[in-house]
Amino acid sequence: MIDSQQASAALNDINDIVHRVRQSRIYQTASLIITMWGALVFVGYIANYTWPPQGYTIWAVVDLIGIAGSIAIAAFSGVGPGAGAFAVRLLMAFLLFIVFGVFCSMVLGHFGPRQMLVFWPLFTMLFYALAGLWFGYVFIVIALGSSALIVTAYFYSGPALLLWMAVVHGGALILGGLWMRRI
Amino acid sequence: MAELDEIIHQPLRLRIMAALNALPVSTGLEFARLKKLTGATDGNLGAHIETLARAGYVAVDKTFVGKKPQTTVTATAAGRGAFARHVATLQEIIAGKQP
Repeated sequence: MIDSQQASAALNDINDIVHRVRQSRIYQTASLIITMWGALVFVGYIANYTWPPQGYTIWAVVDLIGIAGSIAIAAFSGVGPGAGAFAVRLLMAFLLFIVFGVFCSMVLGHFGPRQMLVFWPLFTMLFYALAGLWFGYVFIVIALGSSALIVTAYFYSGPALLLWMAVVHGGALILGGLWMRRI
Repeated sequence: MAELDEIIHQPLRLRIMAALNALPVSTGLEFARLKKLTGATDGNLGAHIETLARAGYVAVDKTFVGKKPQTTVTATAAGRGAFARHVATLQEIIAGKQP
């Protein structure tokens, strides 16, 4: 038989491993969602560069596909009995995110096309960083790395901003998602 | 008085069972991920999984993904029950209900 200290140490060990497993499963699901968004925005920037007048339509399609894809991944990723509720909360989070972003950028800010191109990715990265405070440092690393690249593109890319954004935003999300999968 | 499960009580086997028990029923973990989560070496992990499998606490499924072999370990219903009883006993010891 063991004493209470040894029993306590064993329970701590169990809690530690359970925490690791949960974090690992969150990373697995999140990596799929992040990689998908990376590919989508990469295509969106290239399409926007190729057909500039269709910009709003292109980004509406990209966002709709991305939101539907994220919810589908969250619902069917096998995260257990709470997957359905998680997917609903994710949809609500997307809606709040879009409403608040539109209010800031169009009602309060009256941003031009160049500012809009940078605002939405940076706004997204803020949520990645906040998620990192609960779910693991990898989200924070992806958020800070991508934000630095996006701000650099805004100030230094000139007329090639869309192409820069395809590489630095889309590329950072794809690489970040793949990196997250390996952890 | 409940007894600690001697098979699960070994530290690495406890970590293996804790990891598998944290998953939804019938969901398993690949050997490589289990190794990373528990911090075990290949040989050590393999030996302890074998012990748990002999006790009927885990099921081991070996398949091929392309040309690469993939081993998936899943906690059985018996394993989940034994783990739950083991945790309950640990909690009783901490609460002072057991000597």
